[in-house]
Amino acid sequence: MSFANEITTRNNVSILGSGEKTLLLAHGFGCDQNMWRFMLPALTAQYRVVLFDYVGSGHSELAHYDQVRYSSLEGYAQDVLDICEALNLQDVIFVGHSVSSTIGLIASIKKPNAFSQLIMICPSPCFLNIKPDYIGGFEKADLEELIDLMDKNYIGWANYLAPLVMGSNNSEKLVGELSGSFCSTDPLIAKTFAKATFFSDYRHLLKEAKHPVLIFQSSQDALASTDVGDYMLKQLPDAELRLINAEGHCLHMTHPDIINQALRAHIE
Amino acid sequence: MSNNIDNSVLEVPGPDAFQCGALITDKHRKIIYANAYFSDELNWQIETLVGKSSDDLFSYSSKIFIESYLMPLLLHEKKCDEIQLALLDGNNKRISIIVNAKMDDQGKIYWSFFNATKRDKLYEELIETRKKLEAQAKILHSMSSTDDLTGLMNRREVNLRGPELINQAKRYTHTIALLMIDIDHFKQINDTYGHLEGDRVLTELGLRLKTFGRQTDLIARFGGEEFIMLLPDTDANEASLFAERLHKLMSEIEVNNIPVTVSIGITMSDGSQNLQELTKRADNALYKAKSNGRNRTEFDQQA
Repeated sequence: MSFANEITTRNNVSILGSGEKTLLLAHGFGCDQNMWRFMLPALTAQYRVVLFDYVGSGHSELAHYDQVRYSSLEGYAQDVLDICEALNLQDVIFVGHSVSSTIGLIASIKKPNAFSQLIMICPSPCFLNIKPDYIGGFEKADLEELIDLMDKNYIGWANYLAPLVMGSNNSEKLVGELSGSFCSTDPLIAKTFAKATFFSDYRHLLKEAKHPVLIFQSSQDALASTDVGDYMLKQLPDAELRLINAEGHCLHMTHPDIINQALRAHIE
Repeated sequence: MSNNIDNSVLEVPGPDAFQCGALITDKHRKIIYANAYFSDELNWQIETLVGKSSDDLFSYSSKIFIESYLMPLLLHEKKCDEIQLALLDGNNKRISIIVNAKMDDQGKIYWSFFNATKRDKLYEELIETRKKLEAQAKILHSMSSTDDLTGLMNRREVNLRGPELINQAKRYTHTIALLMIDIDHFKQINDTYGHLEGDRVLTELGLRLKTFGRQTDLIARFGGEEFIMLLPDTDANEASLFAERLHKLMSEIEVNNIPVTVSIGITMSDGSQNLQELTKRADNALYKAKSNGRNRTEFDQQA
């Protein structure tokens, strides 16, 4: 199989719509590319839109899952870069939700030519409180509780005890069919993504951004407070912030029209 | 707001009669209704609860879970079942609950909460037990795959991992070298200087093999004084050089001020033979090295 085909299958890449400009939409932690469905109709009328699932999410190929690679956001950024290479994408407009904003930032610094700008929806470079200067919103204990909560919500899954039976060396053998459901992945994979997302600190990368950034900030977001948005705005060399009067962390699902309009106005 | 559902046929009590929490939020997450369970069991005053954001009802970790799973699910599928969260009661105390919820066309969410305190205890125990078992399994695995004396892999582990290395050679079309290494006159060392001295030689040899090998090499004690090495992506020249350096390295070990020597048998493969065939060939080469005077390397001629 050619590299392009391999990556397309691996990351369940789909290309929709057509237009001069290409948008690469990257879903956040928890779900998959279906998150973008409310924004798609308007976008595909005007742009070429590339959708994908990170390895371990949605309908990606679990056989490619690598515990070490996906223990840090760099591994996910490599998925993005692989897709850019496979599709020969240049000057792509990267749209990332939540942690994918950081993943896009990592990718864009590594290979600037592939990107023209970054759009970040409810981003946070660090979810932890790093006292005294930075309030990411969560203490380490909260995040450990999250991992615990994930464990409890995955009890009843057939492979909950699989790591025991198979031994820790055989994690690649844990692959199985993903349930078709939108927000479910293998418990081990989900926990690894959660740890990479919520325990990391990428604030230092903000200053190194090589592209203009547009931030969509929700006025009431339990995961990314307006303080976090302001912090990012200050640190990024070339950024703009749109505060959306809304509740929650999924603006692209709750307010797709507002995001689409602002996105179009910004791009054109 | 009335909690009584008017039913002209039957006198049906309202949601206040149920032993579970029922809550309605509007599309801005504002609580617009809470049943009596919140005041009776959760120490909330309904008046203070109504008007609050549903965000205020959950622990920090639950908020992340809600934003990452529950809300996307509700927006996508309009309902979700059996999600465990930590709810804060009126005294800010955490209570484990199971949540089922559905969302209507106006974005109103109808939440039902079921106390899951006992279930949570069971889960805690399960998680704790799994952690313990995982640690135990790790120890057992290491015990069953390691040779006690040298710390190298044992023969069992070679039989498990060897075939995969050989397959890789075939898949990526490179050659793999299999080395059998046997200590010369080991029986004599044991008989003359005792088993402890023999053990020391084995341990030192194992240590040297381990530091000498590459990370991708498979190094194991095959039995007695015999060791096996599988070197992936290695041609005959490299294997020969490797063996030469091994001879030198092994002579650093001395017994009664006399350097220890080893005999080595090597076979090369493109991955088309199985582990058993290859060890047999390397063994033949090793036999040849022994009969040609020991302290030398011979290649299996079939390769």
